[in-house]
Amino acid sequence: MLKFRSLWRWVTLRRLVQVAMLLVFLGLVVAAQARGGERMPSAWLKAFFAIDPLLLIATALSAHAVPALLLASLGLVAVTLVLGRVFCGWVCPLGTLHDIASRVLFWIWPDRRRRDHWSPWQRTKYLLLVGLLVMALFGSHWGTIFDPLVLLYRTTTTALLPALQWGVQAPSTAIYHYDPETAPAPVRPVAERVHPFVRDYASEPAYEFLRDHVFGLRTHTFLGGGLILGFFLLTLALNRYRPRFWCRYLCPLGALLGIFSLRPLVRRAVQTGNCNQCDLCATSCHGAASGAPGEQWKAAECLGCLNCTDSCRRDGLRFTLTLPWRKEPPVEGLDLSRRSVFGAALGGVAGLCLLRITPQARGSLPQEHLIRPPGSLPEREFLERCTSCGMCIKICPTHGLQPALWEAGLEGLWTPRLVPRLGWCESECTACTHVCPTQAIRPLTVEQKKQVRIGLASFDVTRCIPYAYGRECIVCEEHCPVPDKAIYVVETEVIARNGQKIVIKQPRVDPSRCIGCGICENKCPLTDHPGVRVLSTNESRSDYQAIPVTPDEVPLGEPADDDDDPYAADR
Amino acid sequence: MCDRSRREFLIGSAAAGLLAARPDLLLGQTSAKSADMAVTRWSGTKPAADAAMKDVAVKLTEQAINALGGMKRFVSRGDVVWVKPNIGWDRTPETAANTNPDVVATIIRLCFDAGAKTVKVGDHPCDVAEKTYVASGIANAAREAGAKVVFLDKTRFKEAKIGGELVKTIPVYPEIIESDLVINVPIVKHHRLAGLTMCMKNYMGVIDKRNTFHQAIAPSLADLTRFMKPRLCILDATRMLKANGPKGGKLEDVETKWMLAAGVDIVALDAWGAEAIGRKPTDIESIVKGQEYGLGKIDYRSLALRELAVS
Repeated sequence: MLKFRSLWRWVTLRRLVQVAMLLVFLGLVVAAQARGGERMPSAWLKAFFAIDPLLLIATALSAHAVPALLLASLGLVAVTLVLGRVFCGWVCPLGTLHDIASRVLFWIWPDRRRRDHWSPWQRTKYLLLVGLLVMALFGSHWGTIFDPLVLLYRTTTTALLPALQWGVQAPSTAIYHYDPETAPAPVRPVAERVHPFVRDYASEPAYEFLRDHVFGLRTHTFLGGGLILGFFLLTLALNRYRPRFWCRYLCPLGALLGIFSLRPLVRRAVQTGNCNQCDLCATSCHGAASGAPGEQWKAAECLGCLNCTDSCRRDGLRFTLTLPWRKEPPVEGLDLSRRSVFGAALGGVAGLCLLRITPQARGSLPQEHLIRPPGSLPEREFLERCTSCGMCIKICPTHGLQPALWEAGLEGLWTPRLVPRLGWCESECTACTHVCPTQAIRPLTVEQKKQVRIGLASFDVTRCIPYAYGRECIVCEEHCPVPDKAIYVVETEVIARNGQKIVIKQPRVDPSRCIGCGICENKCPLTDHPGVRVLSTNESRSDYQAIPVTPDEVPLGEPADDDDDPYAADR
Repeated sequence: MCDRSRREFLIGSAAAGLLAARPDLLLGQTSAKSADMAVTRWSGTKPAADAAMKDVAVKLTEQAINALGGMKRFVSRGDVVWVKPNIGWDRTPETAANTNPDVVATIIRLCFDAGAKTVKVGDHPCDVAEKTYVASGIANAAREAGAKVVFLDKTRFKEAKIGGELVKTIPVYPEIIESDLVINVPIVKHHRLAGLTMCMKNYMGVIDKRNTFHQAIAPSLADLTRFMKPRLCILDATRMLKANGPKGGKLEDVETKWMLAAGVDIVALDAWGAEAIGRKPTDIESIVKGQEYGLGKIDYRSLALRELAVS
């Protein structure tokens, strides 16, 4: 017997909200572009991070600081206390992608038995969260690189958008450059007629629209994008084993919200009279919030997706408003033993110790290729805050900011660094300093930014054209953005091969003026191994890397408070 | 497709070159009042406020084009015109690193008045294009004047045969060279390597892979200029960047000169610009090379020159 189902269904509304939220999220990623003019990047670009309580708690623990923007996440905590993990079920864009992936994978491989009952392994995420928060307590923000919003932002920026851009750019470029006269003789008349039409009315307008509104003018490519994509695809593939595997077993934000939703105000109640224990509700459950038939509902696992009430044919389930201290309807706790929580905490400490075994992690070996964005805090404080979300990387107009792979150690995985060969730090741009959700990069005005040194240029006289080959060049001097020119020219007499004396303009670096923007390295005509390199030497944020320069330099940022600390350099 | 339009372009520019040199031959009439080069200087009161310079720039441009015989001499009804200013740097107009936006806007207006169908404005900047177009004030001014602001797309450059002495092929932007007319609108600036950057150097904004130019800048620029077949150049000297060019950034290096030159002889214009900034034209290698290649005359005073005081 078919039961009448009205057009209005809660799950339809939920799916619409999910898709809308996913689109908003992706729209905000796409919108993070530095345009010209004085306008600051909007705070709305950080909206999803602002409501993420994991970032708030982890930053508060590791940096002993509360970025004001992240206080918005207390709103999400309040919602979770009332409704449970509805963020996971309705809003989280990564959750939505896992939903879609689960459906697609089950459509390809329909299992006879859908393993949708609660598994004790679902407690893993709470233990991971405990470990990561203990790490944060002792000064490592590392756990947040697995925050779902951070994960999806980074993946979209460094892998999905670049792939999409190439997918659009390559065919339209091929059409644009196609010459119908090269077509074989029999089809040439057709090609000559069709090609201009396709180019002018289809491929070019479409490409130009996407270029101007989605991708921007420059090519997006990111070092190590494959690893980021691989990790993302792995989490999607796990949905083959269990739907929403990431959300159920691993997600640190899901675990945190689960703790807040132990006894939500809205609870699920089984109308025992109506229930015939058909188990339909459990098989459609996103979070595997209940065990085998008859077992009780785990509020912390419920994503509020409402599939259970939707699938029930006998009106056997209802969500009702219940005060937290009421015993009925019954709620099951996390079922974590004291021993396992203690073990997880100990694991966090051990993990942190293991992260600090390298000289880079102790700060005793500055990495020459680790050029941080302007306004970055000193390295240790930077790592206490950076989530590796990739917002700065996305908004950098030259795409010189790249995710670090090993340059900042394992703790600095996917944190931003400038790769001058790929893009320079535009002198009038402060975009990256305004988007950091955890203020690992401090907001700077353009005038302040022009005073911040992120590195120092140096010439490789065995490569630089005027030095090594006795030819004119000085492209670097031309591009140097410092009005008084940090790269200057010395006219030097050299002896050419034929013995003739010629005067060549040889470029030099003035370390008291160079801010390390990297445009010299980027524009060097030697494209493989440039004649001028920018390394992190002399960066403002580190006393350890300062080199003696003329005393007209301006002290920048907050001076490090370590006058009386003889071991400051070792940190 | 491309070759055909290039052939058309070459024939068209040959005809236009003839028209420019001997208008009496083609049009059967002598335009006694049109000069081949015009220099306009502001003789009125010099406004102190930077904003008031707009009026000066507009008048200097209008009068210079007028002295050449009006924009109709260069633009035919229905033409697609590419205005090529210097938009190389992420700098504001008062730092004189890019062409004066009011000069650019005036040229666009004159083109439309002369019957142009489309006017496009674009350059291949050294800094980030999205930022230089805005900071220079040119994107805004050009859009207000009705022009289409075009960002050059790296993937759209096409390798073209330059056939120069030094530069054989180079990627050029098809949309620019396929236009009916390219109006070259640079600004006079100091340039450490080239000495100065003016009209000839401004053509570096239509090509890509510029990294080989700097090792022999003068012959490369002469090759490129010969390929571009300049028909109308307007040299902005309302402000000049006298040191730390071409990027500048310091107001102390800028001198407000209140003048402008326009003409059909690119070498003559560059020679005038060199003198205006205080250099001997023969000291600038690209100008000497330009004359050697037959692209124009250094002695600009020997041309049909008109100097105007504008107020």
